[in-house]
Amino acid sequence: MNRLAFFEWIVAVRFMREGLMQTLLIILGVGLGGGVIVFMSALLSGLQTNVVRRTLNYQAPIVILPPDQVARPLRATEGAEIAAQVQPRSQRLRSIDQWQKIRDEVERMPDVVAVTPIVAGPGFVLRGDASKSVTITGIEPETYFRVIALDEKIIAGRFDVGPLDIIIGTELAKDLGANVGDKFRLATASGATATLTAIGIFDFGNKGVNERNVYVALRSAQNLLDLVGGASAINVKVRDPFTAETIAETIRAGTDLQVESWIVTNAQFFTAMRAQILTNTLIRIFVGLTVALGIASVLVVSVIQKSKEIGILRAMGASRGQVLRVFLIQGGAMALAGSVLGSLLAWTFLVIWRGVARNPDGTPMFIVQIEPSLFAIAMVAATVVGILAAAAPARRAARLDPVVAMRS
Amino acid sequence: METLRLSGVRKSYGIGTPLEVEVLHGIDLVLERGEFAALMGPSGSGKTTLLNVIGLLDRPNAGRLFIEGRETGGLDEADLTRMRGRSIGFVFQYHYLLPAFTALENVMMPILAARGRPDDEMRATAATLLDRVGLTPWRDNKATEISGGQQQRVAIARALAMKPVLVLADEPSGNLDTQSADGVFDVLRAINETSQTTFLIVTHDPRLAQRCDRIIELVDGRIVSDRKNPNVVRRG
Repeated sequence: MNRLAFFEWIVAVRFMREGLMQTLLIILGVGLGGGVIVFMSALLSGLQTNVVRRTLNYQAPIVILPPDQVARPLRATEGAEIAAQVQPRSQRLRSIDQWQKIRDEVERMPDVVAVTPIVAGPGFVLRGDASKSVTITGIEPETYFRVIALDEKIIAGRFDVGPLDIIIGTELAKDLGANVGDKFRLATASGATATLTAIGIFDFGNKGVNERNVYVALRSAQNLLDLVGGASAINVKVRDPFTAETIAETIRAGTDLQVESWIVTNAQFFTAMRAQILTNTLIRIFVGLTVALGIASVLVVSVIQKSKEIGILRAMGASRGQVLRVFLIQGGAMALAGSVLGSLLAWTFLVIWRGVARNPDGTPMFIVQIEPSLFAIAMVAATVVGILAAAAPARRAARLDPVVAMRS
Repeated sequence: METLRLSGVRKSYGIGTPLEVEVLHGIDLVLERGEFAALMGPSGSGKTTLLNVIGLLDRPNAGRLFIEGRETGGLDEADLTRMRGRSIGFVFQYHYLLPAFTALENVMMPILAARGRPDDEMRATAATLLDRVGLTPWRDNKATEISGGQQQRVAIARALAMKPVLVLADEPSGNLDTQSADGVFDVLRAINETSQTTFLIVTHDPRLAQRCDRIIELVDGRIVSDRKNPNVVRRG
């Protein structure tokens, strides 16, 4: 007998070792159940983190835009309108009124990490016979890179874009057969053109973005898009992307600006994510219940099998509390052992998954973080479930009348 | 000095049902320290019920029960369990050893239950007791790996682990052949003589009863005879 162990533990361990087959089967059962839960949770959180990261790679959590222009109906007198139908106005590219003031105010808000003005509009990149339509984004490099990590996505060249420079995506570079150092003409619908030198090529991991986005200095874009001194949007980065909508509402309050959070612009993704979380929770609950019922049923049988022994323990002076704890410990210990096994299984599955789930080019489909805290949580939760599942059989054992138990 | 006193102890089963039956009809009994008494009687006479009441496994419906002069009527379940563990040792017809434990560990169990953690002292106590019942060579055998007579002797050693003042034995040799039964009785008698532990032994066997100092006969829940045995047989 281990000298560090105590009465209840010693008896519980011997009881479990005595019914070794039962014990091993239930540990295996708990292990499989726990493994599924841990694996699924890791996968789901990996998927979410990955999608969130990829989306926020090239999209600011909050974008502030000028208000839409509305056609005002003509009125003869109050309440009487001259035109029965009013056609909505087409929206031309405009600057946000007093964008510097708004930028400074938003920057002072808590939870806002960085703010940057941009000018974005349509244009064409022309090189030789090729012309490609693109979205021109004029940026202030020093603030822009704090919102969108474009600087980290540069795969060739530099990123400190000057008045005569342009940064293009990999797809566009391929389409135009261009490389760092080549010159392009950038034209807009207003007729403005500029000749710019490609100083960098970026890869956001998204074909559309790599094909359509080009980045120039803010001043160049203002000239090209006829918005001198203006900013067509303000991008805002917040500390926790999931609070973006709340912060967006705060900014929106009291102004007529359009403030869009990525949560609203990616509504479909969030709906899908919520559905996944719900499914995962349901699976966890049912697997947890199955595990608990398994443990409870093994212990119910054990109490019946061991009623004589329980009777003699009670006759010898073991208290009801001691007998109760003997069975609670069994429930907790089997669940803990099962969750350790489950964690090992889940870890193995995750390692295999990392190896198998790859894109055609061999890069990982998405990165699954193996978080030690997830295993710790799983073990604690399983132990609690095990003890709870043992409660009913343990109470039954503790209440056994020693005389009746020994006679049975 | 009195180890046990019963006055007017009554026990009924099925109270409040049509099957209500009184098993013990007012038992008065005193056992002095160091007595070695046999309790005899036909089946159904209430011997086991009486033993359960004395052993604090069952409460009487009426009457009073004193162990070493202490009234037990007012004690709650936890106190009774504690008192049972400390003052009373049980030997049953069946050994009820814990099969998952060795002989030595089975003997340690009552001390372990009382103290919580194993230590060298309780191991030594258990080893001494096993030595007294002649089982030192088998002390590390599992309880299932020894013979019936040996199992019963382990059970006796276990009953003595807490140095109880009173040992209650319910047909301790009922399941054993004559030779083993005599061996078990020898052990009980030897312990009684060396440690002055009081014994109350239920037996059907008149031959074994003749080895006791006092013979109490129970018939239909009443003590019908209670006499000293003048011709105690010392060896089986």
